[in-house]
Amino acid sequence: MNFKFFFHEAFNSLVRNWVMSMAAIVTVLVSMFVLGLGLIIFFNFQHAISDLRNKLEVEVFIKNTASPDEINGLGDQIRAMPEVKDVNFVSKDEALDRLRGSLKGHEDVLDALSGNPLPPSYEITLQDPSKIEEVASRFYDNPIVDNSPNTHDGVKTGGETSDRVLRVTTIFLIGGAGFVMLLTVASVLLISNTTRLSIFARRREVEIMRLVGATNWFIRWPFVLEGVFTGMVGALAASMLVIIANRFIIEGVVNKMPFLPFNAEAVPMFWLVLLVVIGGTLLGSVGSGLALRRFLKI
Amino acid sequence: MIRFENVSKIYDPNIMGLEDVNIHIDRGEFCFLVGHSGSGKSTFIRLLLKEFEPSEGTITVAGRNLQRMRRSAMPYHRRNLGCVFQDFKLLPNKTVADNVAYALRVTGQPARAIRRKVPEILNLVGLGDKMNNLPDELSAGEQQRVSVARAFVNHPSLLVADEPTGNLDPDTSVGIMQLLYRINRTGTTVLMATHDREMVDKMRKRVIALEDGKVIRDEDKGLYR
Repeated sequence: MNFKFFFHEAFNSLVRNWVMSMAAIVTVLVSMFVLGLGLIIFFNFQHAISDLRNKLEVEVFIKNTASPDEINGLGDQIRAMPEVKDVNFVSKDEALDRLRGSLKGHEDVLDALSGNPLPPSYEITLQDPSKIEEVASRFYDNPIVDNSPNTHDGVKTGGETSDRVLRVTTIFLIGGAGFVMLLTVASVLLISNTTRLSIFARRREVEIMRLVGATNWFIRWPFVLEGVFTGMVGALAASMLVIIANRFIIEGVVNKMPFLPFNAEAVPMFWLVLLVVIGGTLLGSVGSGLALRRFLKI
Repeated sequence: MIRFENVSKIYDPNIMGLEDVNIHIDRGEFCFLVGHSGSGKSTFIRLLLKEFEPSEGTITVAGRNLQRMRRSAMPYHRRNLGCVFQDFKLLPNKTVADNVAYALRVTGQPARAIRRKVPEILNLVGLGDKMNNLPDELSAGEQQRVSVARAFVNHPSLLVADEPTGNLDPDTSVGIMQLLYRINRTGTTVLMATHDREMVDKMRKRVIALEDGKVIRDEDKGLYR
């Protein structure tokens, strides 16, 4: 095939119409950059969620009426479970101290209490956070666990919190995906429009090509390659920006606010860049393909 | 080579482009198509190129029925049919050599053959020293020579020229005519639409005269009149 010739033609046309080419390249760049940025944020949230999930624990509250022997017995029982990584006993006094700590400045509220109403508890960390409900259920019917009648509110898991985080993240993700989709459509349309203008500007040339007996694909290939080039250059520039963004922004955030569970290492950069490059190239070819179908009736 | 049988072309609404035309042109003939503007010359040529279909009748070129030809076969039809136009129709961004080479490239000829044939044909039309110029840098007569070179480089069996000398001064026109005549001598059928009276009268070739879409005269060694 004449691919050398087609490349040459496409390249010449890109250079000749460099203003339009730049416009299309920048469009791909922006949409692919937003996609990359969205993915960076997505991976960081993922990282944060799994971080949170790993910190999840089962809290088992014990009736105030339980004897020390019963309490120790329960402790041994918990330690014997294979899923358990760590067990921590929180006595009544410790629980009160924690409450006082979290009420800093308003300790006087506690003066209204007569004695210490807080139950002692066991805090259980698991090897595998996904087993959390299974382990928790084992305490539902335990007589010394502080369950109200017919419930098991004496056993608490962090599941509610993580579910809420997950829900928020999902909404965020759907929103982000929608935004990226919109930008993708916008850049496909822009590339298609660029190609259309390129075809329009060269309709006389196309007519001449037909006249001397060029087949449809002989005329189309340079336009297709032009679109692919445009997409690829835009995507490459976008991946560069994405890498820079990941390095400086995320790492900057982590340095300034170390309590945020973000991590620049959480992003599989290689795959992200690959995705952005392939995505941009596809954008270019789909865009020019659309224009060819609609405007290059040969 | 060319056969029109009962060919009519009606542009809507009821504007006749051609009306019941019966023409037969043999292989190797040199033939003028004359008539005023709007007489149907361009319709005749555009039908030959299969730019559109006739409303009635059949057109056969080089033994192939154009109406039965599939769209996908059109590029191959056009490669066998060199075209020269009044406005040259050169690719403005390509050099003279690349313009001629394009006609070879579309046929999938190897680069080596292209490198050999392009200078050959450009020397033939007397433009061997202008190969790397852009069309804009050439005079009208030279541009028309490039266009003739491009039309002939694939050695088509039929060369169609639509007012090839329409934009040229008389002396330059003679040069183009000589070129077309030489091409005809190699066995290529040449059909030339023109209203260059002097040229037609000097050449004394077959003349087909059109008026209002009808053939009013068809004579060998004819005059423009």
